[in-house]
Amino acid sequence: MYAYDTFDHAMVNARVAEFRDQVERRMTGELTEEEFRPLRLMNGLYLQLHAYMLRVAIPYGTLSADQMRKLAHIARKYDKGYGHFTTRQNIQYNWPKLSETPDILQELADVEMHAVQTSGNCIRNVTTDQFAGATADEVADPRPYAELIRQWSSFHPEFSFLPRKFKIAITGAKTDRAAIKWHDIGLVVKENDEGEIGFEVLAGGGMGRTPVIAKTVRDFLPVQDLLSYLEAMLRVYNEQGRRDNKYKARIKILVEAMGVEEYARQVEAEWEKIRHIPIDVPEEEVARIKAFFAPPPLAVLADDVPAVDELAGKNFIFKAWLANNTGAHKVPGYANVTISLKPHGGIPGDASDEQMDLVADLADTYSQSEIRVSHEQNLILPHVAKKDLPELWQKLDEAGLGTPNAGLLTDIIACPGLDYCSLANTRSIPIAQTITERFDDMKRLMDIGPLKIKISGCINSCGHHHAGHIGILGVDRKGTENYQILLGGSGGEDASKAAILGPGFDEDGIVDAVEKVVAVYLGEREEGEEFLAAYRRLGPDTFKEAVYGAH
Amino acid sequence: MAKKITGPQLILANRLDDGRAVFLTAAGAWSKQVAEAAVANSEEELTGLLSVAQAAEVSNQVVSVTPVAADVSGDAVAPAHIKFAMQSKGPSVRSDLGYQVSPNWE
Amino acid sequence: MALINLTGIQPTEFEVLADDASPSEGATVAVPLARLLEAEEAFFKSAGSVGAIIDTETSYDALAAVADKIAFAVIDFPAFGDGRGFSLAVRLRKDYAFKGEIRAVGPVIPDQALFLLRAGFDTVDAADERKAAFEAALERFPAFYQTDFGGQVSVAHTRHSAEGQRKAS
Repeated sequence: MYAYDTFDHAMVNARVAEFRDQVERRMTGELTEEEFRPLRLMNGLYLQLHAYMLRVAIPYGTLSADQMRKLAHIARKYDKGYGHFTTRQNIQYNWPKLSETPDILQELADVEMHAVQTSGNCIRNVTTDQFAGATADEVADPRPYAELIRQWSSFHPEFSFLPRKFKIAITGAKTDRAAIKWHDIGLVVKENDEGEIGFEVLAGGGMGRTPVIAKTVRDFLPVQDLLSYLEAMLRVYNEQGRRDNKYKARIKILVEAMGVEEYARQVEAEWEKIRHIPIDVPEEEVARIKAFFAPPPLAVLADDVPAVDELAGKNFIFKAWLANNTGAHKVPGYANVTISLKPHGGIPGDASDEQMDLVADLADTYSQSEIRVSHEQNLILPHVAKKDLPELWQKLDEAGLGTPNAGLLTDIIACPGLDYCSLANTRSIPIAQTITERFDDMKRLMDIGPLKIKISGCINSCGHHHAGHIGILGVDRKGTENYQILLGGSGGEDASKAAILGPGFDEDGIVDAVEKVVAVYLGEREEGEEFLAAYRRLGPDTFKEAVYGAH
Repeated sequence: MAKKITGPQLILANRLDDGRAVFLTAAGAWSKQVAEAAVANSEEELTGLLSVAQAAEVSNQVVSVTPVAADVSGDAVAPAHIKFAMQSKGPSVRSDLGYQVSPNWE
Repeated sequence: MALINLTGIQPTEFEVLADDASPSEGATVAVPLARLLEAEEAFFKSAGSVGAIIDTETSYDALAAVADKIAFAVIDFPAFGDGRGFSLAVRLRKDYAFKGEIRAVGPVIPDQALFLLRAGFDTVDAADERKAAFEAALERFPAFYQTDFGGQVSVAHTRHSAEGQRKAS
C-alpha cells in the first residue's frame, strides 16, 4: 500500500486546517452558503434530507486494517454506528455535524486518509479493479498509476472549478471490473509490441440522463506521458465544456458534439505544447510509488486443499460461497475473497461499526492487513490462503457477512435513494430489499447464475441502472414512486446501454416484472448461456411480451 | 411579493450546524416536529412565513429554506410529498433512526 | 476595493477606457478584448500602455491575436465557479509566454487565492473586508503536487532533488 511521506502528511493536515477555517467562517456568516457549498463539496460534505453526509475517499478502493478500524471508530463516535460503501469505492456517513467534520477529517488524516475531491466539479477519486495486484488476469497493477493521478489531481490550480464533476477509472485486467467505459476518462493498462507498459485512453463515457459509452482517444500512451496527456485532455474540456446547462456539462456531451476524432486532435495539439513543462513526474517517482505496491511475499501453497473440498461436499452454503465469493489469485494456493454487503433483505453497501472492526481483524489474520472496496459495494480480502477459507467463512457467516451471492441476482447495486438523498425521486433500497427477499433461495440463485441488477432512485444514475443486465430507474409520477425496467446493460469490457422495456410499475409491480424477466431467461436460455448473452440473442420482444402481455 | 400557491404550505429547512430537517413554527422558531409547523393558507401568509425563514437563513441558523405543500387532512399537519414526508420521519429503511423514533431524536 | 498582491509585482494603475473614448496620449488603459481585436496600430501607439479585459467566453484565437500587443490582462470572472478564468491565465503564460500582470476581477473568493497564484495571476480585486482572508489563504499550503505558473515545482520533482530528500528525511 502507498504510505505518506512528510509532503503528503503536510498536505492533508493543511487541508484539514483550511476546512476548519472555512467551517468557522461559514458559521459566522463570513462565507455565504453559495460560496461555502463548493468548498464543502470539495471535502465530500453534502447536505442531504435529514442531515449532512460526508463521503470519505478510499483511493482506488484499497485500505489497511488500521484504516478500516478508523472508519469504524468514526461511525461510532461521530455518526450512528454505520457507514455506506459506494459505487465509487468510497464510504459515506449519513449523520455528521458540520462543526465536527474538521475533527473527522483530522482523524482521517492521522491514518493517511481524506475526503478531498469526493464531490464537486473537480477530478474525483480514481477508481479501479477491486482485485488489482492480486488477480491472475492482469497486465500490471493499475494502482501506482491511480496514485500518480490522485496526487496530480489533488488541489489542481486549473481543474478545481470544471464545468462538472470528472471521474477517472483505470483497469489493468482484461476483465473490466471498474466499468471504465462509463467514465469521463477510462484507462486500460496494456503492453505494446516492445513490451513497454502504457495505456489505452478512452474519454466521454458517463451515465446520468444521457448515457454514453466512452470512445478511444489514443491506442497507446506511454507511462511517462500519462499526466501531461491527462492535463491536455482536461484543459480542452475545461475551456470548451458547456457551462450554460449542468445536464450538458459533462465531457461526454463535448466529445459527442465535436466528435472523438476532433477531440483527440485538439488534445494531441495541446499535449505537444505542454510536453516540455515538467508535468510528468521523474522516472524515480514512478519507481518510488510502484515499490509501495510490490506484491506481498506469499509462499506458494498447494492449490488443492482437501479440507476445503470436504466442507464444500457437505455444506451447500459454503460450496456456494466458494463458487461465488472467492476468485483466482496470482499465486497458487491463494484466493481473493468477496465479503458480500448484500444480505438478503438488507441495505446494499451498509456496514456497521462492529462489522468494519471484524473485517479489519480478519484482514490482519488472513489477508496481509489489506482490504478492498468494490464498485459493486462489497468488501474484498485479497491474498487469503485457501487453507484458511473454511475458518474465514465461518467467522464471516456468524457476523452476517457470509452471504454467498457475489455476482448473482441478489448482489444488487442500489443508490441511497429517497431514504437519504435530496436529489432522489424515489426510494431504491426497499426495492433491493424486496427483490432479495423474493429470491432468497441459494439453489435458485445459483441456477439463474450471473445477473447484475442495478437500481437508481433518479436519472442521475448513481445506482448504474444504465449498466445493469436488469436496470431499475425510479421516477416521480405525480408524487408517487414509479419504477421503470431496463434490460441489456453492461459495465464490463463489453459495455452496453440498457434499454427501457416499457411503462413503469409501482414498488410491488417492479419486483413481479423482474421475476417475469428471469422466468423468460430460464425458459429460453441455451446450455451454459448467461442472462446477458441470452438477452442479446433474444432481443427485447420476448421479455416485453412476458412482462406486459401480448399486444 | 406574494407566492402563487394552490393549497396549504409549510416551511422546511435544515439547521446549519447539524443539518437536521426542521419546520418553521407560528412563533417563528424551528422545530423538529412537523406537527408544530405553521401552515400558510394564503399567498400573503406564505410570504410572511418565508420572510421569517429567510431572516433565519441570513443569520446563519438554517439553510435550504423550502416551502412545501402541506397535507392537513389528518390529525396533524404533514408534508404532502413523499420526499418531504421522509424528512419529517427519517429513512424508511431504518426505523431506529430519525424523528420516527421520537420527536426529539438527536 | 482592495488590491490583493499575490506575487509582489508592481501593480499596474490603469483606467477602464469608456466605450467610445480614445485613449489619451500616454495613458494606461484597460479595454475590452473585443474592441482591441478591431483596433488599429495607432490605437496601441497613442496609449502609453494597453491592457485587455478578458471575459471567460473568450476564444483562444482572440487571445492569440492580442497576446503580444498588451501590457497587462484583466480576467473577468462572472462567477467564482467559472474555472475557465484559470485556463485563460495558464494559456497566456504557457502559449504566449506572457510576462505582464494578470489580474482577476469579479466574485472570486479568498479560498481561491492559491489557485489564482498558481494559475499565473499576479493580483486580485477584492472587497476591503476580504483582504485579510485572502492573505491568510495564501499561506495555507506548504507545497503542491503540480508544477505551476506561479514558479512552484511539484512535490514529485522536489522529492527527487537534493533539497527534497533532506526535507523528507
